Amino acid sequence: MAHRGSALLAVPVLVLSLFLVGCPKRPATTAASAPPPTGSPAPAAAAPSTAPSMAPTMAAPATAPSTTPPMPSEFQATDNLKDIHFDFDKYDIRGGDAKILDANAAWLKSNDNLVLIEGHCDERGTNEYNLALGERRAKSTMNYLVAQGVQAARITIISYGKERPVCSEHSEDCWAKNRRAHFLVKAR
Amino acid sequence: MNQLMRSGRSIGLLVMLALLATLAGALSRPPAARSQGADVLLNVLATGAKKLNIVIPNFTVVAGSDTGGLARSMPQVTGRDLTFSALFSAVTDVPPIAANDPAALKAAFANFASAGAHVGLQGLMSVRGDRTEVEMRLYDLTSPEFRMISSKKIELPSTQARRLAHKIADEVVLQFTGEAGIADTKIAYVGVVAGNKELHMMDYDGAGATRVTSNNSINLSPVWSPDSRSLAFTSYMRGYPYLYRMFPFENRPVQVLAGFLGINTSPAFSPDGRSVAMTLSRDGNPEVYVLNLASGAFRRLTTYSGIDTEPTWSPTGREIAFVSERAGTAAQIFVMDAEGANVRRLTQSGFNTQPRWSPKGDAIVYTSRQGNFDLWAISPDGSNLRRLTAGPGNNEGASWAPNGRHLVFQSNRLGRYQLFTMLADGSEQQPLTRGPGESTSGAWSPRLP
Repeated sequence: MAHRGSALLAVPVLVLSLFLVGCPKRPATTAASAPPPTGSPAPAAAAPSTAPSMAPTMAAPATAPSTTPPMPSEFQATDNLKDIHFDFDKYDIRGGDAKILDANAAWLKSNDNLVLIEGHCDERGTNEYNLALGERRAKSTMNYLVAQGVQAARITIISYGKERPVCSEHSEDCWAKNRRAHFLVKAR
Repeated sequence: MNQLMRSGRSIGLLVMLALLATLAGALSRPPAARSQGADVLLNVLATGAKKLNIVIPNFTVVAGSDTGGLARSMPQVTGRDLTFSALFSAVTDVPPIAANDPAALKAAFANFASAGAHVGLQGLMSVRGDRTEVEMRLYDLTSPEFRMISSKKIELPSTQARRLAHKIADEVVLQFTGEAGIADTKIAYVGVVAGNKELHMMDYDGAGATRVTSNNSINLSPVWSPDSRSLAFTSYMRGYPYLYRMFPFENRPVQVLAGFLGINTSPAFSPDGRSVAMTLSRDGNPEVYVLNLASGAFRRLTTYSGIDTEPTWSPTGREIAFVSERAGTAAQIFVMDAEGANVRRLTQSGFNTQPRWSPKGDAIVYTSRQGNFDLWAISPDGSNLRRLTAGPGNNEGASWAPNGRHLVFQSNRLGRYQLFTMLADGSEQQPLTRGPGESTSGAWSPRLP
């Protein structure tokens, strides 16, 4: 149902390590299509080496790399798209939140820009599971908007799990605030 | 006897004294026909003792000069390693025994034995240039002639004296159990630096902590490759959560293992090191995949439309345990073949994540949320469910030492999250890191090559 629209492959599949000489003819080299690093990379975090020519059955990437999504840092906050929230351990859209998404969808259909949907969790899950749960929350939100007529190609999702909370108290009130989908926009 | 009384600092001494009465009868038995280390251990444990009492005098310098005081500091590291193993009670800080002096050796050993020691370890230390060598000699003090069990020379640059001491301890454990100890290992972990989560690494005992990433973003979930040369981890260093591989001991660039749209998380190397299991949501929702490192091919293992994540391999490489919400309620732990078939449910109640299969294969440790987080363990056939921690606070994110006996985990029982260690039965819980910042996501390395 959910057509992902935008590039199916942000960064090609795999980079093998052992050889520094790459496959110059292969289009899907990581160095060519990886988004630039944010911040100041450490010496160790240099661009990965290109795929070696020695790999006997190097699989082609799942899809050819097309446009990679904009960096999250290129999106800006907006008052026009309100956050929605989720029940504990859940990623389905609740009734009241659906109404918020209806309004968000309406605005998006009148304003042609790109949107980044962040999925977040409260602290009560473990780190890895919450990355998956945040992903599901962002995806559910995206699916709803697409069903309302927003083009999928305009939407990028990102999960932050519980890594970017808006509050840190160990309370129901704070937990509820953190279980959210958050919207950022960028001009095309 | 006076020397041992003054040494005092180790619990081992008290243990030894307490065991005197128990051991008096055992010491008078004739030695086993083959007095190998394992026999000594078995014989001692058969008397009802729980641990081997070992005395490690300061090393005897036989060549060169010990400007760094290593003859005294190394045995203390070795002693702590052996005490940590929970197989030994170690007494250190005892004056060295003269070299090439059988009478002095026998007198010292007689002293130790009468105080209840089962094992003596003499180190003959040579300093040559910038390298240090220790010839370690293990003696069975339960035998009337104090028979030598083994002798081995270990040599390293003097700057790696701690590592040399660890290797001595691992050799002692090897001699008595048939399997090397775990003192020569590292623990990778996540530490907060200026508000960012960066990967760090330290010796298993907490020494030598260093930062291994500096990308000012969110770095998560380090795991070691079986050859201990690389760490796979999730990082937002390029904005989105990609899976990377870095080589902390080599000057090699970081590689991208998976950089698909969505999440690229939960890496786990297969025991043969040829594959990495992971969670990808590139097909629409989080699923477990296996990446073949040589071919670059991804194989999808799960198909459930909800969350499947956190794969962990059995030590045979034939099965993978993972987390799924397919049961319809909360997250539970399931097991499947390494090809994705024969899925069976392992845990029944609670909210269960972070499974880690023991390198011995006999247990899967996991984090269960029943209010707070606590660590539990279960056998792969679903039997022998047992609780390892019972608070206080949250106890989560366990990682196995390569011996399948020790675990590192994170706990906020003392305020902020720090790393703790314990035995696989939940005993001997003790702090490993102390802050000031938070330390989480401990990953115990294999034995270093």
